[in-house]
Amino acid sequence: MKPTPSFNRSLWVFHLNTGSCNGCEIEIVATLMPRYDPERFGMKLVGSPKHADVILVTGPVTKKMAERVKRTYEQVPDPKVVMCVGTCGESGGVFYDSYSLAGPIDDVIPVDVYVSGCPPRPEAIIHGVVKALAKLERLEAAP
Amino acid sequence: MSLTLTTGSGFWNPVAWLIAITVVLVVVYLIWRRGEAGYTAGSAQVKPFISGNPEPSKKAVHVPASNLYWGFTEALSGYYSRVIPIHTGIATDYLLWVLWVTAVIFFLVVFL
Repeated sequence: MKPTPSFNRSLWVFHLNTGSCNGCEIEIVATLMPRYDPERFGMKLVGSPKHADVILVTGPVTKKMAERVKRTYEQVPDPKVVMCVGTCGESGGVFYDSYSLAGPIDDVIPVDVYVSGCPPRPEAIIHGVVKALAKLERLEAAP
Repeated sequence: MSLTLTTGSGFWNPVAWLIAITVVLVVVYLIWRRGEAGYTAGSAQVKPFISGNPEPSKKAVHVPASNLYWGFTEALSGYYSRVIPIHTGIATDYLLWVLWVTAVIFFLVVFL
């Protein structure tokens, strides 16, 4: 069903773990808890990339995950925004010289928003979501 | 000529039937028209999401009707393991079985 324009800022986020140590996942869950409660704005995690506006990627992208990351990215409807959460996705982090990495993330799929930190605090993730929102609005305004 | 067929359990009229189908199709169209059109047809966006894994061929994931009987055939596997080899599909084999069974019955009836 087509959402009304009132829902334009209610981002639905698909979280994709590409080999993260779960530190970032803990902070993502902390972001969703009642202290910050982004769901009051209609923002929530969804179980399928087909329902998502934003794909939130954590981890340094292992070789096994690279194809799956590409495939999942392709399945998100347009316009879409990719958020990279955590240092691993930006540079490989502590795994930077591992034999099993295909990443960092922007070697595999284009990234729009980077949220630094190992792991980033919930405030930083929320800041990244706001940046993603701005990017999505620009994409939607584009002809 | 009346188009209405009346039976003990109700009636059937092709005109009423066509009107009902038309109403249903209009409702379906209205729901379909409200759907999200913001996807790219023919791209990966229309493929099923299987945790990022490639979609297996239809043949690889097809569930044949025989799978429904798995428990049944498994429970009777002792019986099937003996019976299936007998069913060779060769007509002369079946004819031989008929002759054998007839001979045994003939023996039982005549001599016992």
